[in-house]
Amino acid sequence: MTELPPSDVVPHLDEVRDRVAAPENPTDARRDGGCLRRNTAYIGQRLLGAATSLVAVIFTSFFLFRIIPGDPVRVMTHGRPVSVEQKEALTREFGLDKPLLEQFGHYLLGVLRLDFGESFQYNRPVLSMVGDRLWPTLLLVGASLIVSAALGLWLGVQGAWRHGSTADRVNTGVALTLWSVPSFWLGLILIVVFGSGLGWFPTSGMKTPGVEGFDAVLDVAHHMVLPLVTLVAVVYAQYLLVMRSSLLDEMGSDYLTTARAKGLRDAEVKRQHAVPNALLPTTTLLFINIGFVLFGAVLVETVFSWPGLGKLFYEGLSVPDLPLVQGLFVIFSSAVILMNLVSDLIYPLIDPRVRP
Amino acid sequence: MFRTNHRGRGFSTAVSGLLITLLACVTTLFAGSGASADTKDEKTLTIAVSQEVDSLSPFLAVRRITTAIGRLSYDFLTNYDPKTGKTIPALAESWSTSEDGLTWTYKIRDTKWTDGQPITAEDARWTFDTMMKDEAAATANGNFVENFETVSAPDPRTLVVKLKAPQATMLALDVPILPKHKWEKVTDFAKFNNDQEFPIVGSGPWIVSAYDVNNSITLTPNKDFWRGAPKFDKLVFRYIDDSDAQVEALKAGEVDFVSGLTPAQATALESADNITVNKAKGKRFQAITLNPGAKLQDGTAFGDGNKALQDPIVREALVRTIDREAIYKTAYGGFGEANGGYIPSRYADYHWQPEGDAVIGFDIAKANSLLDGAGYAKGSDGIRAKGALKLSFRFNVHGDNPQYIQAAEMMREWAKEAGIELKVEPVSEVGALLDAGTYDILTTGWSVNPDPDYILGINRCSGLPAKVGGPYLSDAYYCNPEYDKLYAAQLAELDPAKRAGIVKQMEEILYKDNVFVVWGYADQLEAFRSDTIGSMQPQPDPGGNYDSQDGYWSWWSATPAGEDSGAASGDDGGSNSGLLVGGGAVVLAALAAGLVLMRRRGGATADDRE
Amino acid sequence: MTTSASAATPRTPRQLAWTRRRRAVAKFWGDYSQNRAGLFGLAVLALFVLAALLVPWIVGEDALSVTRPAGEPLQPPSGEFWLGTDRSGRSVLDLILWGSRVSLTVGFAATFISIALGSLIGILAGHFHGWLSGLLLRITDWFLVMPTLVLAVALAAVLGRSLSTIIIAIGVTSWPTTARLVRAQTLAVEARPYIERARALGGGHWHVMTRHVLPNVMPIVLAQTTLMVAGAILTESTVAFLGLGDPTVPSWGSTIQAARDTGAVSSGMWWYILPPGIAIALVALAFTLCGRAIEGVLNPRLRSR
Repeated sequence: MTELPPSDVVPHLDEVRDRVAAPENPTDARRDGGCLRRNTAYIGQRLLGAATSLVAVIFTSFFLFRIIPGDPVRVMTHGRPVSVEQKEALTREFGLDKPLLEQFGHYLLGVLRLDFGESFQYNRPVLSMVGDRLWPTLLLVGASLIVSAALGLWLGVQGAWRHGSTADRVNTGVALTLWSVPSFWLGLILIVVFGSGLGWFPTSGMKTPGVEGFDAVLDVAHHMVLPLVTLVAVVYAQYLLVMRSSLLDEMGSDYLTTARAKGLRDAEVKRQHAVPNALLPTTTLLFINIGFVLFGAVLVETVFSWPGLGKLFYEGLSVPDLPLVQGLFVIFSSAVILMNLVSDLIYPLIDPRVRP
Repeated sequence: MFRTNHRGRGFSTAVSGLLITLLACVTTLFAGSGASADTKDEKTLTIAVSQEVDSLSPFLAVRRITTAIGRLSYDFLTNYDPKTGKTIPALAESWSTSEDGLTWTYKIRDTKWTDGQPITAEDARWTFDTMMKDEAAATANGNFVENFETVSAPDPRTLVVKLKAPQATMLALDVPILPKHKWEKVTDFAKFNNDQEFPIVGSGPWIVSAYDVNNSITLTPNKDFWRGAPKFDKLVFRYIDDSDAQVEALKAGEVDFVSGLTPAQATALESADNITVNKAKGKRFQAITLNPGAKLQDGTAFGDGNKALQDPIVREALVRTIDREAIYKTAYGGFGEANGGYIPSRYADYHWQPEGDAVIGFDIAKANSLLDGAGYAKGSDGIRAKGALKLSFRFNVHGDNPQYIQAAEMMREWAKEAGIELKVEPVSEVGALLDAGTYDILTTGWSVNPDPDYILGINRCSGLPAKVGGPYLSDAYYCNPEYDKLYAAQLAELDPAKRAGIVKQMEEILYKDNVFVVWGYADQLEAFRSDTIGSMQPQPDPGGNYDSQDGYWSWWSATPAGEDSGAASGDDGGSNSGLLVGGGAVVLAALAAGLVLMRRRGGATADDRE
Repeated sequence: MTTSASAATPRTPRQLAWTRRRRAVAKFWGDYSQNRAGLFGLAVLALFVLAALLVPWIVGEDALSVTRPAGEPLQPPSGEFWLGTDRSGRSVLDLILWGSRVSLTVGFAATFISIALGSLIGILAGHFHGWLSGLLLRITDWFLVMPTLVLAVALAAVLGRSLSTIIIAIGVTSWPTTARLVRAQTLAVEARPYIERARALGGGHWHVMTRHVLPNVMPIVLAQTTLMVAGAILTESTVAFLGLGDPTVPSWGSTIQAARDTGAVSSGMWWYILPPGIAIALVALAFTLCGRAIEGVLNPRLRSR
């Protein structure tokens, strides 16, 4: 998966392409005859890998943020002068006086019960704060994934179809350009142009206070336009490029030549064979991306004051609000791991080339 | 290559067509929703806030946004006059104190909670008593009651507080008085955020009636408020994190009031339609503190501050390289006052500023000659040193304050001309550095109250920590016995004019010591929609601010613009947004049509290539 | 192809090798120059690199002074200041030019760290088998599931705000991609018969890795490098946006951040906010185009794309 997002929001294109096109390819197992034992072994291996990663994430979440300078007690007292007794009481209450290992054990037990403790800043359980913020993020990220995948796939198919044409070049060029733009900067520009300049869309937040009923749904949709466009603009390029290049691959492959030789019309060949096959890598990409877009949304959420998880995470990090940051880190990373697992597991199932 | 198939083109045309239809539908719907939201004949005042709610429980709330909401929804014993800032009655109609200043008796006003129950002295007693007994309840305002011996309510109208020692803040007890009948049921104050049951029973001019987490807080007027009901039908605090987004929302009419503007924003908004910019004289000073050698009350030195700063000549030379005028002209865009006095000029009674020869002003030549005279010679790197003392200082700046950073960069260049190196290091929090005494120069800023007691008090020798890591008041490790003596004198002085004289002497001492170096006072920049808000009460009046007042004056007094033609202006908004949305639909449709054309042309090219 | 006529008749193995390399480079360039987008990217890059190198002579360090700025603060573009002035009165154009120096430095330095680490770990993991390889793979996977941005932000918070912090943070969090790629390539190279031969002739690990694997891995690494620089420059601006950059260094990211802090977006000061963003996008795009072009050359199957 990916590491340094070339675009600030998304994993590296070529990364994704490599991974999607030629990961430690699970299909080999099936090609060898698709026997049950191999499948079970394969699934077991994936599950084990995911579990290992999860453990590593839980460890990291605890120790990584503890090295950030900052006094948790100061966070809780908001820097106001407090008596020594008060300070000690707070330290005790949050178990910060215990040895690090004991704190870790406590944390570990909590995590197993999905209890990430209480936020230092808000006096609320981390899980309930996450609950408040989950839906806005899921809505924004989900919508952006759907729109960017649809747009990217469509343009990718068009591009491969008329490969080399002006439209193809323009499309690819525009996609690559948008992909090179810092997402927060694009968001700012959109706010200026479409928010205050033209006045078409609200500039921030998710709702207009006081709007209810069906209007509220529309209101949210209205607020979501600019953040959605921003996310889609920087993300769709990879769907376009992956779709386009895998479709080109398919179009050059032997079976298509055969099909054409048999006299099938190009359009049918493409629709019935090439496109479905080329869709596979992109589907995988969709899953891989969910985790990253989830985190990448932090920038867009900040620019548009969208009340989501990404923003919560950044706020927690700057304090640092340890329980909040740890909890979110585990949740984000688990999402990535889970989605990887899903994509690893479904890939062999949906690849028709290896179907008997 | 492949032959272009005409179905493909048909497909993209169809999709584009679908897109147009969809957009048209959506935009029409938005136009509809916009209009319906505006037709309500309600006058709403929307304030943009950049902080999220920490807790709606006044026992826990410490953020500006939530303390402000506490102020609006719960009355305090006393309030501050909007014009002068002097203490005036609120829930306490009157008060008296014993000879020794240890017993305070308040007469509680005969008025009602918003649920119709009477407010009694018992409510006030319960509030203070709970804060004294329950650690969690003391989270926010515990400092007010630390010195309380007992609190009692001998009858429903009388509250008696007995103190352990005299306390200056007894007429400034900024503590929301809570309804005992609602709150005594709460079992754990640490967990109770007061955000489950709405409207929240209170006693202030506004009632918190809805809270949409991370989005908005809606207040409705308390029609029976004893000082008179607020004039707007609704007060909404809307959470918008980004300052630019706040301004955009103001311009778009989504919010009616924003505060904390940058100079550039204020300048740009001044020429905007229907927007009034308010430049209030600042009640904050901006300053740097030079580490004079961090030490404990018993004199034990700690930390690793550069020892050269313990030399008064070095400190003076450094201060001479600071061009305060340039800082306020450039970094604050001219919205502020360069002034070395500790108490802002807004408080004319207590403000002092150096005159004539006493001014330690911008003079790099003088700085150089001072350092030459003291034996600090320039090294090969252009930095002065005397023995092991090198004039190279860490300068830790609040990273989230762009003006501080800009000023710090300017100071770095000036200091260099005097052979002093300032290493500007932005940090997210200076508290930890201050705790440990591991700094040379820090930026700081304090909001000064009408009564200067607290801000003067932090510089006493007793403000130093008693042990490393222990609590302390000091912001600069300043300690000067002469200053302490004057502090005691002003506290005992009952004649306001004489007290002011002593306070000014203290400011002069502070100024001369060059440990707490004030640059001046930036204006508080706010803007509001003049087509929504007709008038509001500033504090002080005139020339004061609306946001973060001492009291609830601005939002309580705000009157809707053009009371008679209010309905008409509401409709305007509706049709306007409808028009704009309609326009948007047209442009989007045009874009989609362009897409169709482009696709067609793309198809044509491929055809041509065959 | 390589057997076709050449100018000199090589004698020694060294000369032979050099001729071969020269030819390879010439062929590479021949293929590369077929890619118009790649040429465009290269031209843009050349322009920025030139600007970065020459800026001390074109503009001079005085242009960065905040106490003796060339103009009044926040002036719109004019004949004197083509892109207006910033909050201190400095020319935005000059800042962008100086920024190219900073941003490219960050981009290249971070990429260098990342590529060096990634190549080393990738080659080791590919060359050796057994526990070392397993361990290295585990570590790589572990880094892969961490959101890079979180790690970078956490590191920036720990190490303090400075340019070197950002470089290190980006460098040490972005290597796993390279490591994976390099490992795959190493495995492929080592499967070739001539490696077997080299081993049989007594070539040790070091010899095989440096003489045979490394040269064969370099082209992939080159493509990866160009792509990664783009990412590093974007990440730098992101870190600045999140308020963890060094605001006293005029990188493009910190210029955008300064513009935001000033309220340029809502004050209509487009000349302050647009240029740094466009500069970032242009350079990132240029690197991406170059990277794709190089990939196309290395992997002819991709060329038609």
